[in-house]
Amino acid sequence: MDIYLPIAEVSVNWPTLVILGAVVGFVSGLFGIGGGFLMAPILVFLGIPPTVAVASQASHVVASSTSGVIRYAGAGAVDFKMGSVMAAGGAVGALAGVELFRYLRLLGQADLVVAVSYLVFLGAIGVLMLNESLTEILRRRRGLPAPHKQRRRPMWLYGLPLKMKFPKSGLYISALPPFGLGVFAGVLSAIMGVGGGFILVPAMLYILRMRAGAVVGTSLFQIIITTAITTILQAGRNQTVDIVLSTILLLGGVVGAQVGARFAGRFRAEELRAALGLIVLLVGIQMGLDLFVRPNDIFMIAPGIAD
Amino acid sequence: MQALPPPPPAITAPAPDRSEATTGELRVAAALTDAQVRVDSSFTGASIVLYGAVFNPTDEPADVVVVVRGPDAPIRLVKKTRTSGVWLNSRPVLFEGAPGFYMTASTRPLSDIADFGQLRRLGVGVDHLRIDAPEESRTVTRYGVRDVVVSRLGDDYLDWRRAVIRLKEAAALYDTDSRGVEFVDRGLFRAEVELPTVAPTGKYYAEVWLFQNGEPQSVSNLTLTVEKVGLERDIYEFAHRRPWLYGVLCVVLAALTGYGASRIFSRRS
Repeated sequence: MDIYLPIAEVSVNWPTLVILGAVVGFVSGLFGIGGGFLMAPILVFLGIPPTVAVASQASHVVASSTSGVIRYAGAGAVDFKMGSVMAAGGAVGALAGVELFRYLRLLGQADLVVAVSYLVFLGAIGVLMLNESLTEILRRRRGLPAPHKQRRRPMWLYGLPLKMKFPKSGLYISALPPFGLGVFAGVLSAIMGVGGGFILVPAMLYILRMRAGAVVGTSLFQIIITTAITTILQAGRNQTVDIVLSTILLLGGVVGAQVGARFAGRFRAEELRAALGLIVLLVGIQMGLDLFVRPNDIFMIAPGIAD
Repeated sequence: MQALPPPPPAITAPAPDRSEATTGELRVAAALTDAQVRVDSSFTGASIVLYGAVFNPTDEPADVVVVVRGPDAPIRLVKKTRTSGVWLNSRPVLFEGAPGFYMTASTRPLSDIADFGQLRRLGVGVDHLRIDAPEESRTVTRYGVRDVVVSRLGDDYLDWRRAVIRLKEAAALYDTDSRGVEFVDRGLFRAEVELPTVAPTGKYYAEVWLFQNGEPQSVSNLTLTVEKVGLERDIYEFAHRRPWLYGVLCVVLAALTGYGASRIFSRRS
């Protein structure tokens, strides 16, 4: 049941990979995220070189996001204009991120930066999500009314030039903040192998104050473009995309994503957010632990001899 | 050294103890069951048997040492150091060449077979392996990144060198088996070469040494190729020759799979 991966140059048990793809796909369909942050650490745990894991699973994110976008677009919940602005930023970010990642690999610091990014971003987002959703769940249990939501956007959003109308999102703001968000997501996509949905969704909700219904669909649309570019760049510059690995993962992934999306309707939004927050936080802590635990061997082979 | 060993068929039937042809000549002949290892999608490592014969007309016992060496490649190592509670990587240290695979198998522990100087001179044994580092410490800049190259004379050279061997042993790429050569019959021996999945592709060299009284008496050289075949090789070459097209193909494949799945599922509901 083992299969040899031609680029990763290791052999792995393929049914495990299909199940892993399905589970991560389920999580991604359930929460409307790419699921990359969950996939990369597990692949590394299975013995796949981190650089190959990060680059190959990006195409899994492409697949699950594609089926997500098709579903959301059918419901009219994708702001393609906003998504395109963000994707343009994502392309710039991905270009910069792949070069940065290449440089970090040569420096021998890639794994350190990956661990720190996971700890900081996943830790922070996980805590925020847990906090917000638990407060809401508690409030509902006690039967208190929901507080009046603050709809004011930060004033600086209006002071910037290049204003554009985004009718679907209910916004008339400068194109720079969404572009900047896209750049940020693109860099993360190259370094952590994630789509960046877990950062984009809260940022679009709480900073841009987009109409909530369009947020997930739009972020998925942006993620497709960004991760597609990342995959091509990783393949072209670093030759670290393993098509066999990514194909096995996506076979399970697309099925899992559809099943997950069906289940999503059965839960309340804040319960889903609490669960996702917990997962995000745990993954962040797990990845960050490496920084503080004494390693088994203080010497380590640095990957990435470029020739 | 003596002339080349006879071709393999001559070995399958062990020569009579004191035949006319071999009298007075101490030598070893060996062959591999498989001189070509094919890496395909079901590859999970390989086990190759090296077998051979010792022609020993003397009464003194002789020892057989098998050394298999994979293609050389540079290695970069980092050392983790604790800085204010956090484990950070040092700047990488570059060894310019170390075998990607190295194993020895022998009839007895190597240190009993020959002395330190002899083993060092022949480069037999993991402790005597040449791991190339320049004589003087210098820093080279490659691709805009400064790599430190350790000096062979430096204090820490041994630590780094030991680390290379330890890490390679942990990956089953380096191995020392002091009982790896078994005599199955008088003068007829076998040894197993275990290639892990991560074994590098390329040309491998096997040396079969015959020692007597701590002196090398005869050597037989063999080669072994490990190569990707079939689809595995096509994918690997495609990914390296046409990397951009390959990347585009990966993305198109992913997008189509996602699209296809959503079509199939939406039709069902």
